[in-house]
Formats: sequence, C-alpha cells, structure tokens
Amino acid sequence: MTAPVGTLAELRAALEARRVSLRELVDAALARAQALEPKLHAFLGMRAERARAEAEASDARRAKGEVRGPLDGIPVAIKDNLVQRGEPTTCASRILEGFVSPYDATIVTRLQAAGAVIVGRTNLDEFAMGSSTENSAFGPSRNPWDTTRTPGGSSGGSAAAVAAGIVPLALGSDTGGSIRQPAACTGIVGMKPTYGRVSRYGLVAFASSLDQIGPFTRTAADAATALEVLCGHDPFDSTSLPEPVPQFSQALTGDVSGLVIGLPKEYFVAEGVDPAVLASVHAAVAELERAGAKTREVSLPHTKYGIACYYLIAPAEASSNLARYDGVRYGHRAKDAANLSDLYCRSRSEGFGPEVKRRILLGTYVLSAGYYDAYYRKAQQVRTLLRRDFEEALAGCDVIATPTTPEIAFRLGEKSGDPLRMYLSDVYTVSANLAGVPGVSIPCGFHDGMPIGLQLMGRTLDEATLLRVADTYQRRTDWHARRPPEPA
Amino acid sequence: MSKVLEKYEVVIGLEVHVHLKTASKLFSNAPVVYGAEPNHAVTPVCLALPGSLPVLNAKAVEFAIRAGIATHCEVHPHSVFARKNYFYPDLPKGYQISQYEEPICTGGWLEIELEGKGGPALKRIGITRIHMEEDAGKSIHDEAVAGTGSAVDLNRAGVPLLEIVSEPDLRSAAEASAYLRTLRSILRSVDVSEADMEKGQFRCDANVSLRRRGETAFGTRTETKNLNSFRFVEAAIGIEIERQAKLLDAGQRVIQATLLYDPGTNKTRVMRTKENADDYRYFPDPDLVPLVIDPAEIERVRRELPELPDQKHARFVSEYGLSDYDARLLTTSRALADFFERAAKAHGTPKSVANWMLRDVLQALKERELEIDQTKLEPGALAALLRLVDDARVTAKSARDLVPELIERGGDPAALVRERGLEAVSDTGVIDAAADEVIAANPEMAARYRAGEDKILNALMGQVMKKTGGKASPAAVQQTLARKLRG
Repeated sequence: MTAPVGTLAELRAALEARRVSLRELVDAALARAQALEPKLHAFLGMRAERARAEAEASDARRAKGEVRGPLDGIPVAIKDNLVQRGEPTTCASRILEGFVSPYDATIVTRLQAAGAVIVGRTNLDEFAMGSSTENSAFGPSRNPWDTTRTPGGSSGGSAAAVAAGIVPLALGSDTGGSIRQPAACTGIVGMKPTYGRVSRYGLVAFASSLDQIGPFTRTAADAATALEVLCGHDPFDSTSLPEPVPQFSQALTGDVSGLVIGLPKEYFVAEGVDPAVLASVHAAVAELERAGAKTREVSLPHTKYGIACYYLIAPAEASSNLARYDGVRYGHRAKDAANLSDLYCRSRSEGFGPEVKRRILLGTYVLSAGYYDAYYRKAQQVRTLLRRDFEEALAGCDVIATPTTPEIAFRLGEKSGDPLRMYLSDVYTVSANLAGVPGVSIPCGFHDGMPIGLQLMGRTLDEATLLRVADTYQRRTDWHARRPPEPA
Repeated sequence: MSKVLEKYEVVIGLEVHVHLKTASKLFSNAPVVYGAEPNHAVTPVCLALPGSLPVLNAKAVEFAIRAGIATHCEVHPHSVFARKNYFYPDLPKGYQISQYEEPICTGGWLEIELEGKGGPALKRIGITRIHMEEDAGKSIHDEAVAGTGSAVDLNRAGVPLLEIVSEPDLRSAAEASAYLRTLRSILRSVDVSEADMEKGQFRCDANVSLRRRGETAFGTRTETKNLNSFRFVEAAIGIEIERQAKLLDAGQRVIQATLLYDPGTNKTRVMRTKENADDYRYFPDPDLVPLVIDPAEIERVRRELPELPDQKHARFVSEYGLSDYDARLLTTSRALADFFERAAKAHGTPKSVANWMLRDVLQALKERELEIDQTKLEPGALAALLRLVDDARVTAKSARDLVPELIERGGDPAALVRERGLEAVSDTGVIDAAADEVIAANPEMAARYRAGEDKILNALMGQVMKKTGGKASPAAVQQTLARKLRG
C-alpha cells in the first residue's frame, strides 16, 4: 500500500524540489485507489492508461521548464456525473448503461488545459440524489474514518477519495449539500461556489437551478488554487456568470480581524442536532473570535421552509431533466418492447433506482396542471424569500457560520428505509443552493472518532472571504491535518 | 355550405409555425440544413446527451423581433423560455423549449383583403402572440428506412420556429387562406423565413368552431393539426365546418378534440380528445435565463426593418401613380414587387408596366402555378418588350403572345420578334390590299358603316388584322379602313 498523498501545496513543493515525478504521483494514486477500492468503493471507473500517458507528458513539459500551473500533473478524481470524451459516464445509474460521452464537460477541458490528470470517476448517489451514496446502483462508498459508516453524499466517492489520501483534489457537484455534507462527514474541505461560477456544461443535470460543481481538498488553500482553474464564464452555459474570477489564493491573508461572522439563530436550535456538533461549531467560532473576528446573531427567518422548498423545486426540475433517458438514443433499452409506451415504461422502470423514481414521481406531480400553483410556484416564491433572507443577513455580517450537518456520518443502512429522515441530512445546506450563495464546509472537530464540519456561507461571488476565513481557521487548528486510520 | 352559413357563424383562429432562416439552430450551433443525411446536422445539444445545455441563438431573437414589429405586436423586453414536457422519440430531451407565460411578442394585427360587394375591402385580424420555440425531429416509419421499427432523424430537432397565434377573428376558409397568404408575404418581406410550405417551413393548425348567428359566446372548438398547404387549410376547414354543423343540427354537441387532416382521402380523423389531452407540465427552463432585450435593440431592428407590404403598397400609389388596387396586387409578394420596380425603372412608364404585369404576366403565372421568381422572365426583358410596342415595332397583340414564351424560356424580346417574323407591318401596300379585300367581301357591313354605324368598323378591323397575321398596327388599319370607306 502506498502512503496517503499530501495536500496540493505539499505536492507542488515536492515536485519543485524534484523529489517526485508526476508519473510516480499518478502511479501512486492509481495504486492506492486500487488497494482501497474493496474497502471504500470510492470509484466507479479508473482511467489508468490515459492518466499515465498524461502524467508522462506533464513530466516532459516540466523537464523543459513548462508548467501549465499549479494543477499541472496533479492526479484528480471527478464525480461520475461529469462527462469526458471517450469515457463512460454512469451517474451511478443503470439507465446510462454503455453510454460513452463523445464530448468533454467544460470543467474537464479546463482541468486538462491546466495539466491536471484525471485518474478516475467517483461513486455517487444515482443522479446525485441522496446523502449517503447508498442510492448508487453499484453499491455504496464507505467512510475512511469508519467503513461501517457513509462518507455522506451524493459526492461520497470524491469525498472518500480525498479523505483517504488517494488524490489531493476531487470534484463533486452540490445541489442541496452534496459537496459540503460529505466533506463534513469525511473531515475535509468541500466548497460549493456561487451558482453560475463554474460551468455546468457537461455536468449531468439533476436540478439545473441548484446544481453547482465544486472541489474537495484537504485545505482551504488548496480549494482556492483549484477554484482559480474551475471558475470562469462559459459561453456554453447560459447560467454561467460573466464575472471576472479573482486570484483566490491571494485573498488568503490569514487575517480576519474586524470581520463579522453572523450566527443565524434558526440554525442553532437544539432540536434535531447532535449537541456535540453544536459544541464543536461554537468552539470553532470562538477560535475565529480569538483571531480577531466579531460575531453577531443574525436571522434567516425562512430557514424552516428550506427543505420543503428544496424537495419541490429539485424533483420538479429532475423530473424534466431525466426525461431524456428514454431508451431511444443511448443508455439502457428494455428488450423486446411491445410498443413505444412499453419501451418507455420498461426501460425507465428497469434503469432507474427507487430514489430516482420517487423524485421523478414527486416532481411530475408538483408540475401537473392544477398543482403547479400550489407547489412549484409557491416554492419559487419561498425561494425568493430565502434569497432575500441571505441578502439581509449578509448586509449585517461578512460570513454566516453554521453546522454543516446535524450529526456525524451515520451508519450505512441506518436511514435508507426512511427517505424523510435522509432528506433532513441536508437541512443546513439546502438554503445556500436555493439562495445561490457560496458555501464551504471545513473540519472543526470530532465526535466518536468521526469528523464534524463547520459550514461558512457568504455573499454572492464572495468566495474569497469564505476561503480567507476557512484558511485562517486552518492556520490555527489541525483538524484538517488528521488522517483516518490506514485500513488493515 | 351556404345553408350552414345562414344558420351558423364560423369562428376560426390559426396557429402558424414558421421556420426562421438562421444558419444555426435555436439552442445549438448545429447547422440548419434541409435534405442532409439523417442525424448529421446535430450536436450533443440536439441529441440531448447528458450534460448538454442550450444557448440561445441571437439571430433568431432578432428575427422574432422583426416578425413582431412587422405584425404590429408589442415586443417585450423581458420574456421567458419554458419547457413543454412530453415523451416522443423525435423529442430528444423529453421536453420542447418554448415560451409559455411570457412570450416575446403579443397584441398585434395584420390586414387581409377580401372581395366585397363594392370591390375589395380590408379586414383586420388580431394576432394574440408570437413566441419562439424549437422544432422536433422527424419520426420515420417508412419500411425502406426503418425496417419493421421506426427511425428518428434529429436534423430538424432544434430548428428555430416562431409560433404565431391569431385571434379567433377569421370567419371562413377563404379568410383563413387570405390571412395565411398575407402572413407569409409579411414574413418573407422582413426576410425572416423562406416560409416554403413544401419544406414544412410554414405549417398551420386551425381552430374551428361554429355558433348560431346572433350568439356572442364561442362554440366548442376543434384543432386540426399540421396543415402544410393553402389548399389543405381550406379543405380541412371546410370539412370541419360541415361536420360541426351536422352535429349541431342533430342536436349533438361538438367535443373538443385535436384532429388530423389526411390530404390523401381529404378527410379528418380524431387524434385525441380533451379528456385524454396531454398535461405538458410547463415550467420556466432553469437552463436558460430570461430573455432580456434592450429597448434600443428593438428600436434598431424597427429602423432597419425591410419595407412591409403595406408600406410598399402606399409607396407604389404615391411614387408610381398606381391605383390602390393595382398597387396592392403588385405588393402581394416581395418578388413581384421587386420585379415591378426593376421593370418600371428600366422602361420609364410604371403605369404601363403595371398594366402589362397585372394583365398578361400574372395571367401567365397563374396558368402555370408559378411565382415570378420561379420564371425565366427578366424585368429588363419585359421593359424591352414594352418599348418595342411603344415604338410600334411590334403590335400589342404580338407582344402579348410572347409573354408566355419569355416566362418559360426567357431571352431577348427583340431577337424573339425577329426570329418569329412578328415585326409590325408598316407596309401600307399590304394593309391597303387587305382592307380592299375585306371591304369587297363585306358590302353589307361597309354600307352600314357609311350609314353612320361607326361601331361596325371594329368588326372590319378584326378581319383586316386577321389577314395580316396580327402584325399590322391597329391604328394604321383603322385609318386605312376609314379612309377607304368614306372615300
């Protein structure tokens, strides 16, 4: 078994000192992935041959003094809902059986232009619908801290791959918390940028108005480095923001003095949250106060409607987004269909798992004539109120701090029979998606040997401040430096 | 039918789907082409591959603005694309991107010309809305292509369409047809569509209902889908009027339904009734931001809009001194109007050109079911032909006979006249001899003329003309005859 990989920053230092080659790095990542796969099931597919070739090309460039940037030659894993030309994309669903993409997601193009080497595709809940990866058609991923527990979801494979030291950077997608919640569950940094910061072109849509791609890293500094590559306007995504992308790394001054941290009272009620989680979050806020930040109570009064609102809008969009999986052009097609209707019904019945079906049904229902106004339109109105909540709260503070999840990572199987309980895993994270604001989860403590996450949310397009606060906290603490036990 | 119309008033509203002549599709950079190999004019967006996203074609928006201004609509600076969800193999995403609650244009009108008792009259037809949407692909059930199954060609999927919805202001199949012709002419004038019905670029759905004369509430309507020729529109509406009248006469009610017209059998059949109508679950497309148009852009399009048929009509009256009626006929199509202007310029007497076009050229076109730009006749050739007449080098009759030939084969009129030996006869000897023969052969008519019956001269003239093969100048013949009879 190869040793866990270091942070991006550590790898860069090693590369610059020529202590390691990129080919060695990529080989190590592939070997470690393979060794841990039986225990973690973080991956749905590896890209070994191409990754090795790209690493060698990167080494050759480096030998000539050509380095494309901080990600050149770095092994990266991507969630298996991001398409790459010539590679399968499964979304952890049987419906995409046999599908190989003829085109690259914008994010893949950007990673490759920066020299990053994609080593594999990570596991997820089917079509990113879930909070545990238990909805993967190919079996759940496991938490490196305790393999009887979930790494969270839906980007659980990416989180596990970074937490287990397979890669220093993995990409996920976050529709209602699918980056931040698994980051909290596995003790790493997971960031959902502002909606529109990262192109969604080539991200297989779950809920288009909420989906956003973001990085998993061990440190906020690494997240800043990754975001400089990932963010930026894309003419192929109409919802992509045409705003300039700051040099996030330069925002990491380590100074938070005078910064105001808002503590939304609605997130700090004792009900439904593990006291150990609240205690760690309070301690983290106290640490930031010692660093010079101020705190104040703020209010996000419509928080209690967040989950309900989310579970109307996301399934509504999903029901439409997933209509293209019909067995006609690609993916799974039922055998010997009697007629068109039979082809649709059987292909989709066979191809989709139970949670996806549940959400398609829910979404179809709320968009139906006669129910649209009561559900979908109402949810959009509530969404406007939630967005306004954030605007008003963030007028009086610079960042908002909350727990990322109400509890530590739960045991596999613990909630899979109870969708409503599972949905509450996202209670603290869905609002950022509904409001479109950036959010990041960073490790801030442990309970029962499992990591706890601190969530920071900020103003639209102000990822820099979030990263500065997160980085300052990490300079003063070592939660992020702790490693899960090496599996026996 | 007349009995039906005595008892019932027909109410018709039309929905027209028009392909916009953009180079690429509405939401992808795939080319818009006709007749390409199936599934070759496609991108990941047209195929609805996982992860693909729509990006709006700015040219299509400009065309929609043009169409809106040309039909006196309000063009909205803010409109929204929505998803219309339904499953069909030629609809790759499982939804069509369209506009629903907030279309780009609303509240317009156009005027159609109707034959009234006191001559032609104008009727204003309201336009409820114009919205932008993408076309679907094509399902192919032809055994040669699809074998025992069905095949899908997605080349057409995503081609930009305008849906133009009229108010229920039309009262007959003829009015419906006039509306469609006028609309097509306007859309061609502002250069947004070829509107070729045979290529499916201009398709119509007809909503038809009847109500007893004097009633104000509308009757139950049916919608006949996808009528792709003027003839089919008129036929399908006629059939539907008769069908509904029969039901109402029998005391039965019309059931709201969608019908399909079969040109082969000239019959309609029910596709679906309202009870099993689709629920399209419209909602704003989250992959697209609202379409926001700078009012300055709308003004720019307005300023640069090509001349509309109405404006051209008014200008033809004032600039060329044409009658209102002639000007309207010459502006029914942009091609015809352009032809007229070029011929008038080449010839110098617009009125004369107009007369020739309306009488001889249009007649010949009608007989051949051709549009002016589908012929070999050049504006300069028509002008040259008329100059030959003006210079008395060819008689009007001979010239008229040459028009069909110029339309079919083109060519230089002067050369054609020489080739056919149609030069006007100016040899007085020939005319004299013919006149003498005619007078000698018709002593009774000659006597009547001499007794003061002037009109009889025409009959004699006709005979002289015939003898000279129509090549003699009518004026010379008249003079000669009159001189000889009086003398």
